[in-house]
Amino acid sequence: MALPGERLSTVLGHLNPMKATGRESLLKKNPDDIVITLAVRTPLTKARKGGLKDTSLDDLLITLLTAIRERSNIDPALIEDVCVGNVLAVGQTYIARSAVIAAGFPVTTAASICNRFCSSGLLAVQNIANQIISGSIDVGLAVGAESMSGTPDDGAPNMSAKIINHPVASQNTQPMGQTSENVAAQFNISRHAMDAFAASSFQKAEKAQKAGWLADEIVPLNVQWKDPKTGEVSTKIVDRDDGIRYGTTAESLGKIRAAFPQWSPSATTGGNASQITDGAAGLLLMKRSRAEALGQPIVGKFCGATVSGLEPRIMGIGPTLAIPKILEKTGLSSSDVDVFEINEAFASMGVYCVEKLGLDPAKVNPRGGAIALGHPLGCTGARQVVTALSELRRQDKRIAVTSMCVGTGMGMAGVFVSEH
Amino acid sequence: MLEYQTQGFNGYAVKYSPFFDSRIAVASSANFGLVGNGRLYILGLTANGIQPEKWFDTQDSLYDTAWSEVHENQIVVACGDGSVKLFDISLDQYPIQSWQEHNREVYSVSWNLVSKDTFSSSSWDGTIKVWSPHRPQSILTLPTHSCTYSSAFSPHSQSILSSVSSDSHLRIFDLRTPPSASNHLVHLIPIHGGPPVPGMASRQSFQPSECLTHDWNKYRPNIIATAGVDTIIRTFDIRNPKAGPVAQLYGHEYAVRKLAWSPHLSDLLLSASYDMTCRVWTDGTSSTPGASGGAGREIGRLNRHTEFVTGVDWCLFGSEGWCASVSWDKRVLVWDARAVMGR
Repeated sequence: MALPGERLSTVLGHLNPMKATGRESLLKKNPDDIVITLAVRTPLTKARKGGLKDTSLDDLLITLLTAIRERSNIDPALIEDVCVGNVLAVGQTYIARSAVIAAGFPVTTAASICNRFCSSGLLAVQNIANQIISGSIDVGLAVGAESMSGTPDDGAPNMSAKIINHPVASQNTQPMGQTSENVAAQFNISRHAMDAFAASSFQKAEKAQKAGWLADEIVPLNVQWKDPKTGEVSTKIVDRDDGIRYGTTAESLGKIRAAFPQWSPSATTGGNASQITDGAAGLLLMKRSRAEALGQPIVGKFCGATVSGLEPRIMGIGPTLAIPKILEKTGLSSSDVDVFEINEAFASMGVYCVEKLGLDPAKVNPRGGAIALGHPLGCTGARQVVTALSELRRQDKRIAVTSMCVGTGMGMAGVFVSEH
Repeated sequence: MLEYQTQGFNGYAVKYSPFFDSRIAVASSANFGLVGNGRLYILGLTANGIQPEKWFDTQDSLYDTAWSEVHENQIVVACGDGSVKLFDISLDQYPIQSWQEHNREVYSVSWNLVSKDTFSSSSWDGTIKVWSPHRPQSILTLPTHSCTYSSAFSPHSQSILSSVSSDSHLRIFDLRTPPSASNHLVHLIPIHGGPPVPGMASRQSFQPSECLTHDWNKYRPNIIATAGVDTIIRTFDIRNPKAGPVAQLYGHEYAVRKLAWSPHLSDLLLSASYDMTCRVWTDGTSSTPGASGGAGREIGRLNRHTEFVTGVDWCLFGSEGWCASVSWDKRVLVWDARAVMGR
């Protein structure tokens, strides 16, 4: 039976319903909850070198969507909308809708693209969840996908003089690498701290991959692959991430030369920044009542997401604004959270975010992050949710916060509960 | 107005006997039901005020009670230790049956008013159980997956059971349906959903909030009133579960703890609240010929309690309007609702 304190809390909850947030209330199950019934991702492979280098965005989407359709065992006609987070692809709106149909969904399944740079995957989850909350749709699929092999990131376009002459807006012309150096400079993040952070990411990912934990997240893909030497095209099964360099240490990373010597303090290197990678992830969302009626297994719950802006020149520290904001909205304290998935765009922002937020490093990216696994821009937001849910399941824990910095100066964060 | 002090015990529920107009039962708990014993009072309404006929002490707090509809001396209680106990008030001290199946505090008990041979209990453990006084185990367990503050049999059908719970939903179970995957659940009604607005695609809706109490209308078999933490009393017509509430009654300043429809008038509702008041409401469907229907509204208020009011019940006999209330102020008040109406 309940302790007197617990009985007292129920009475207090009746009197102060506004305070009925926090871990306890987040873990309650309500038929109106937005739940996740399937969360999977493709392997993440190096752009232009890895197993997905010859898989274009449309093929990547078709393969993932087909896998989701088959694995979920849901009648595809029930999926009313698919939101694809994608940053770079040209003609992305054509690709999204066409890939949905080609993946075996009926013509009644709609599709859209959403793009807020590195948060696009999480934005897709939020968009689909909001549609379900507002009653626009009952069942939807949130996807994040990026083929960086085929679509390089060329940075900002030419913009109006009013932007170029604006003291803050003009910062958006700075390349991402420069913003990383800005963070390192402004907050005194040392090269050594960055290398140590990056090495830890590699080591955690190595441990996770060797232990087979990542297999829980991944759907193996059957893709076309062109041998770079012979030019021969063959079909190959891609089933593991290829960015994880085993045996990486802070010392070995310390030998890598600066990637941006033109910007002081030039602490960012190819070893302590996120990798350029191909990949995709998808989550099937619906209300709990709907999932129960359909007999779909509930793996987790979406509890909300938020976004916050900051100066574009230090865009990397966006999570230090977005995470406290979502914690406040959900009534959580950071000790209530079991896993933080923070995108490692650069080690400079990674080190700063962990320090500034006072997070327990053991809870942050327990399977490594984008430095080890790679950062397919549009995919990352969805990929982190898949990883977080899998890790919560493994640890038998409940609450994850996922967050990322966003180019042009923003941070996004979301809260998820595992219901394994 | 009559008054009785439940010395040392804070009231949680009051029920008039269905057999005697002069007998009421009060479920109460020491230390506000947080820790300590419970006590079931059997009180007599006499010419010399309220007199205790008997009481029974229990190891843990008592949160609700329900008289047997077949046996004038039998009464069940909902106990904080997860047990449901049946007392025979012609005996002393001990319950004649104790069922220990719920894993957490039992918050409500309700007798089947039609078949009269079963009763239900609901609990913090997220289940409703149906019992027969003659059987050593429960007959049926219905999951709600959330703390279920109140469950009740329909007064019009022996196989229809309802519940409200902390997940802000009203559930209707029909025990005639095959159990299957839905466990007899036939309707799941979001209490926080607003009524549809003509011409608008979306409807107003409220934050989900814990629902603490509900009651079936005694004359209109499809009408249920609910209330809870968001202070709003709502009525629902279960023939149209998607339509949202029929009436929404605003007025209480804190959570509503107990609701009871009048056994005499189909539109009259009595509520007890953490705001220390009992209020009398019409839901706007006055059955009195010539009376204007109009909107539901508060028509009377009892301000005499000095702590959270936790229980109310109407007297089934005599002139319509007599009722009883209990409160954390350790007082049982028996009063005439007509005396507070029309002010």
